[in-house]
Amino acid sequence: MTSAISISGVTKRFGKFTAVDRLDLEVPLGVTFGLLGPNGAGKTTTIRMTMNITKADEGTIQVLGKPLADEMQERIGYLPEERGLYRKMTVIDQLLFFAAIKSVDRKTALSRLEKWIDVMDLRPWLAKKTEELSKGMQQKVQFLGTIVHDPEVLILDEPFSGLDPINVVLLKDFLVDFKKQGKTIVFSTHVMEQAEKLCDRIALIYRGRKLLDGTVKEIKRAYRDRVPLPPPVEPEPELEKIFIKAVEESGLAAPTSEELR
Amino acid sequence: MKSKLFHIVRREYLQQVKTKGFWIATFLIPALGLVFVYLQVILASTLIPEGKIGVVDLTGRLYAPLVAEQKTVSGVDEKDGKPADEKKKPEEKARRSTTKVTFFDVPATAETLPQVRKTLNERVQKKEVKAYIVIPADGLATGNVEWRARSVKADMVLRESVERALARAGTKERLRDQGVDPAVYEKARLTVNLDPREASEKVTSEEDKNVGVNLAVSGVLFFLIYISIFIYGAFIMRGVLEEKNNRIVEVIISSVKPTTLMLGKIIGIGLVGLTQYAVWGLFAFTLTLPGIAGLVGGAGGTIPSIPGATILAFVVFFLLGYFLYAGLYAALAAPFNTEQEAQQLVMIPGMMLVLASMMWFFAFNSPDGTLARVLSLFPFTAPLLMFMRISVQPPPAWEIALSIVILLLSIWGVAWFAGRVYRVGILMYGKKPTLPEIIRWARAAD
Repeated sequence: MTSAISISGVTKRFGKFTAVDRLDLEVPLGVTFGLLGPNGAGKTTTIRMTMNITKADEGTIQVLGKPLADEMQERIGYLPEERGLYRKMTVIDQLLFFAAIKSVDRKTALSRLEKWIDVMDLRPWLAKKTEELSKGMQQKVQFLGTIVHDPEVLILDEPFSGLDPINVVLLKDFLVDFKKQGKTIVFSTHVMEQAEKLCDRIALIYRGRKLLDGTVKEIKRAYRDRVPLPPPVEPEPELEKIFIKAVEESGLAAPTSEELR
Repeated sequence: MKSKLFHIVRREYLQQVKTKGFWIATFLIPALGLVFVYLQVILASTLIPEGKIGVVDLTGRLYAPLVAEQKTVSGVDEKDGKPADEKKKPEEKARRSTTKVTFFDVPATAETLPQVRKTLNERVQKKEVKAYIVIPADGLATGNVEWRARSVKADMVLRESVERALARAGTKERLRDQGVDPAVYEKARLTVNLDPREASEKVTSEEDKNVGVNLAVSGVLFFLIYISIFIYGAFIMRGVLEEKNNRIVEVIISSVKPTTLMLGKIIGIGLVGLTQYAVWGLFAFTLTLPGIAGLVGGAGGTIPSIPGATILAFVVFFLLGYFLYAGLYAALAAPFNTEQEAQQLVMIPGMMLVLASMMWFFAFNSPDGTLARVLSLFPFTAPLLMFMRISVQPPPAWEIALSIVILLLSIWGVAWFAGRVYRVGILMYGKKPTLPEIIRWARAAD
């Protein structure tokens, strides 16, 4: 079976600093893979090398069984940690531009976007310039831009950082749905809790090296005797769900475009 | 399926052309140009020498002739203040522009001179008197005359006018000393007109001979190349920084190569420039349509027709210059986060452009001179100076070809450098890099 992503013996140095050090990583097809590690561990560099944005000094990287090439970028959806939009472009122009540079023609892009525009409540905003949108709305547009070419693999660099609670739920639901379609997801985070909930497999990177790699279960079993167990907790509702419930129950209308400006 | 480059170019072009700023600039620049020319004309007429000038004449012979000369030169009939000779040729009239200079005699001898000076100095400082002159006793022999005013730098036009009047008055007095009637001077003076023609069998058209029009056409086109490279270079710099600051650039380069993004931006903005030229060209063309040309022509002056070779050279050297500088601007903006940070390095191409623009007169006056020839081969000044040379006096074909080849090679080199710096630079946030660091990136990038 081919892997979605296969990294072997990859090293990347910036001057004297070794950002990634002889890294091996296998992401099987169809799994949700968490790339964990503190800030500066080498997650972003690893992801950028996988996207063919930066080149590895040593080692090889394959995506979907093929060596890195520009065409492969069209089969991956990528949301970088530093992400943004053209402020002066309208939402729809922007989405069509993202589609166009992934070689998706206008018609296909429009029909694909149709469903998402309603799911994300973007319809009233399509002709507005990005700078008129609230931050939460902008995040939705960014995310839509990532999947407009219907990628087979999704690579997200710290996707939850800076998201408002509603978009966190939206993104989580989307990832679960995306996975159900048999697609592969790789995301980096330094919040272990998210990784634990969403990932089949995780790898822990520290100072450019891989410390742990495996399914969440395997890793937990391996460390069972060495790490103290937490006290048992009563199940309680998640704060995010409470937040959304409270908003719904308030009966207040969503903010209008005028108010958000 | 269209290429990714096409989509980058398309976005860049539409975003620029859709802005109000673009259309304002498109109409404002020619309007400003016209205002500028108009102002020049207006201002030139304010350069009339003016002021009350004391004359300390120790020769005792020059005061009266000087006053007489001043009246002739000013050409003003004192009685009704109207120009005395309206029928004269325009050049003649220009030379005899109206002056508002009045002289008054200050009697003095060698002994009283220090005291007279003191009084006059005070009057000048109090602004009762604009200036005073002291003609020494041997003034008629040496031509040395003192000019005393509040500043030694100001009043160039006034000084020249007084100088001229003094010279004429003095010359006439000296003729008288030789036993010649001063009236002979006016009769004998000969004004020479050099009639320039090309040294060939070809008939030189009246238009070509008109140095003023030649200078205007070459100058305007030269200025257009200069200002466009400057403006569109700044557009490129701003575009690069904007994509960085909006954090959009990494999203884009996960779909297209950084060099494609850079090239797309350069081509897109270049097309914006050509669009602007097209609008201006259309505007200029309507002015040359028979009906309208008649109207404008009737209002004074003819519309110069621009030779085809000049237009071709303009397009070729504008494009070469644009691509050369555009690459530099993109490369020098990419490593930075704000315009202020980028400003320091971006000054380098700016200075080269300014240098090239300052050399226009050398190329215009002696298009075959060593300086003009060297600068029209040096890539960063060539786009402007080779164009200037071609429009004045076409240099040998091999020089033009060599200049184009050097420019093409330089564009290639700059693109290579720019591509590498750009690729690394656009992902660098935070600390402002130094020039050596940037050069290291270019070398290290693979």
